Amino acid sequence: MMMQGLRLLLPIALFAGLVGFWEWAVVRWQVPPFILPSPGAILTVFETDGASLLGSAWITLGTTLAAFVLAVISGMALAVLFASSRLAEAALSPYAVTLQVTPVVAIAPLIIVWVGLDNAWLAVLILAWIVAFFPVLASATAGLKAVDPNLRDLFRLYRAGFRQTFLRLMIPSSLPYLLAGIKTAGGLALVGAVVAEFAAASGNTDGLAWRILEAGNRLQIAKMFAALLLLALMGVVLYAILSFVEWLLLHRWHGDRRRA
Amino acid sequence: MSGDLRLDRLAKTFPNGTAALEELSADIAAGAFVSLLGPSGCGKSTVLRLIAGLEEPTRGRVDWPQTRGSLGFIFQEPTLMAWASAAKNAALPLELAGAPRSEAHARACAALAKVGLEGFANALPRELSGGMRMRVSIARALVAEPEVLLMDEPFAALDEFTRSKLNDDLLRLWAERRFTGIFVTHSVFEAVYLSQRILILSGRPGRLIADIENPAPYPRASGYRTSPEFNATAREILKALEDRAA
Ligand SMILES: Nc1ncnc2c1ncn2[C@@H]1O[C@H](COP(=O)(O)OP(=O)(O)O)[C@@H](O)[C@H]1O
Ligand SMILES: [Mg+2]
Repeated sequence: MMMQGLRLLLPIALFAGLVGFWEWAVVRWQVPPFILPSPGAILTVFETDGASLLGSAWITLGTTLAAFVLAVISGMALAVLFASSRLAEAALSPYAVTLQVTPVVAIAPLIIVWVGLDNAWLAVLILAWIVAFFPVLASATAGLKAVDPNLRDLFRLYRAGFRQTFLRLMIPSSLPYLLAGIKTAGGLALVGAVVAEFAAASGNTDGLAWRILEAGNRLQIAKMFAALLLLALMGVVLYAILSFVEWLLLHRWHGDRRRA
Repeated sequence: MSGDLRLDRLAKTFPNGTAALEELSADIAAGAFVSLLGPSGCGKSTVLRLIAGLEEPTRGRVDWPQTRGSLGFIFQEPTLMAWASAAKNAALPLELAGAPRSEAHARACAALAKVGLEGFANALPRELSGGMRMRVSIARALVAEPEVLLMDEPFAALDEFTRSKLNDDLLRLWAERRFTGIFVTHSVFEAVYLSQRILILSGRPGRLIADIENPAPYPRASGYRTSPEFNATAREILKALEDRAA
């Protein structure tokens, strides 16, 4: 109990201390606001520009979630294809890897040209999806490969169909791997969305990245900090939700991945 | 299943060139308890997998009396679904065959009670001891009342006490159900204690080197383990193995 209270209290106390020091230091050394604005000044931004920032955050969040869902579905589907056909895996996995190791910023201009500048949101979605897709594919593939071969034999012995084997054996066996990959994908979808917005670098995307660029050009440093704050918050909440889902699904048998 | 299960000149060479089994012919009577005894790597597991239809023989065939009998399989590891309760694990064969959930659950609980696990229906595998997990595995293998029970060194990983307890439980279940039991082991004493007949395989590639009857009547109480009859059969087996080695 003590420990748990401390684990919660300590970061909060540290945060309060840091913010307090920050506020004090900015006044004490008269740091100009275009270098480092005070926490109070950053909060004020939410009063003046709150609506536009939240609107942008909403757009970035939408792209992130859409890319995330697409990545999870397509990553799992491809993993199942790989698991059921060695040929498909041999043929396709080099492309998946190539797509993964090519820096997304470098692909961005090409994708934007292809979908057209008017559809910049689509380019951002595609780029975020590319970034988030690979961890799902990799973890689902690893998970499906880790299915106990004896259990697989048992399902064959009892003449289980593909559906039964998939739902009752492959999905639950690979769940710990899959959820780890999905958690990574959630964070990467956000990273991908913001990087893609930067790369698109046009008012057409209107996400938080654009707000940051815009504010940077006008030396509105406080606004940049406010946008950063929103991004960090989104990332943390996303991670917390996915961790909670992982805990919900696994806590009864997680922590003991030994074969039973 | 009535009539014999016939293994007709079974041979298996794996695609990588490993000759696991050279030639095995044996008629196994319905309701018999037979052990397959041999050193590691002599193809015992392969024989069971061939019988189960999990591998195709390279030569020879497995002849079932009319249709393939219903099968149960017990592996050396309990091989349970870690995410499912004992009852869910034991119900697996029934659920895969499309039995209604409630019926499958009731029968699974009955099967668990048969192996001494009443009250553990909701336990997860990780909450059970090694011996208890193996009991769940036995309950699962027997829940659908198979005609043939294939066992691949099921107790090899257990301690001596648990092992001899499970040996007795297995014999009791066999006396009740009269399935055909095919039991793989590399323990001479376990083979003698359990079976009516012991097929001895040579080292790789496996071939039959002796076929020994064990006439001792059932039920075999634990006193049998120290009886002269037990010793006589064990000596016969050891001699067959020695002759082979010489
Ligand atoms: N799928 C397989 N592919 C190649 N070799 C195998 C395969 N399964 C078993 N073997 C080999 O066949 C031989 C017999 O194996 P097995 O039947 O498992 O022996 P046992 O159960 O008597 O220890 C071993 O040498 C083993 O390595
Ligand atoms: Mg074996």
